[in-house]
Amino acid sequence: MILAKKSVLGPGEARTRTRQRRQMIFLGVSVVIGGTIGGLTGAFDQGDGSLFSGDWDKLKLNPAIAVLVSALLVIGFIALPLRGFGQIDEFKRENNFIGFTGGCLAVLAGFPIWAVLYAGGMLPPPHAFGIWLLGFFGMFASYLIARIRA
Amino acid sequence: MKNRLKVLRAERDWSQAELAGRLDVSRQAVNAIETGKHDPSLPLAFKIARLFDMPIEDIFDDGETA
Repeated sequence: MILAKKSVLGPGEARTRTRQRRQMIFLGVSVVIGGTIGGLTGAFDQGDGSLFSGDWDKLKLNPAIAVLVSALLVIGFIALPLRGFGQIDEFKRENNFIGFTGGCLAVLAGFPIWAVLYAGGMLPPPHAFGIWLLGFFGMFASYLIARIRA
Repeated sequence: MKNRLKVLRAERDWSQAELAGRLDVSRQAVNAIETGKHDPSLPLAFKIARLFDMPIEDIFDDGETA
């Protein structure tokens, strides 16, 4: 009986459950928006370009789809993170700040490093999507390190 | 910073989730404070002190002597 679980939730535990449920809904909405963006760009892509190779002139998308996807990107990359910041506590906010700082430093340092390595003939020229990836993965790695250390 | 949060919580037979809910923070935040990996802000420290009905300095110890 020592290991018997408490069947009735305390007021604090109930509030924690509500917080966790809200977080799961938030993550679910983010995944749906991300999936919709990926699905739309994949299904309606009319060009031969690629974000990775930097041949932007060959990218082509129906204007209406482009407007819709850009609106979803505003929601996904601006509205949702801002709303998320308002919902999380100070500990998680601190981890998020570390993540964003890591992303910012990755771009600030990554671009000139990439440029000089290009000048030295070791890399292709820097392009916008590569810089974006630097920021994204810099942010992601910094956030993970902050979470692991905490 | 050292603190007595884990002891105070255990005295009341509260789980981390219970304390987190009462403080309106995540369970991870409570865990990080208990293990000394996160120092709470002043407003949260006051909230903790009010919840346990104790002065802040009886819960948190920064290792400095007056």
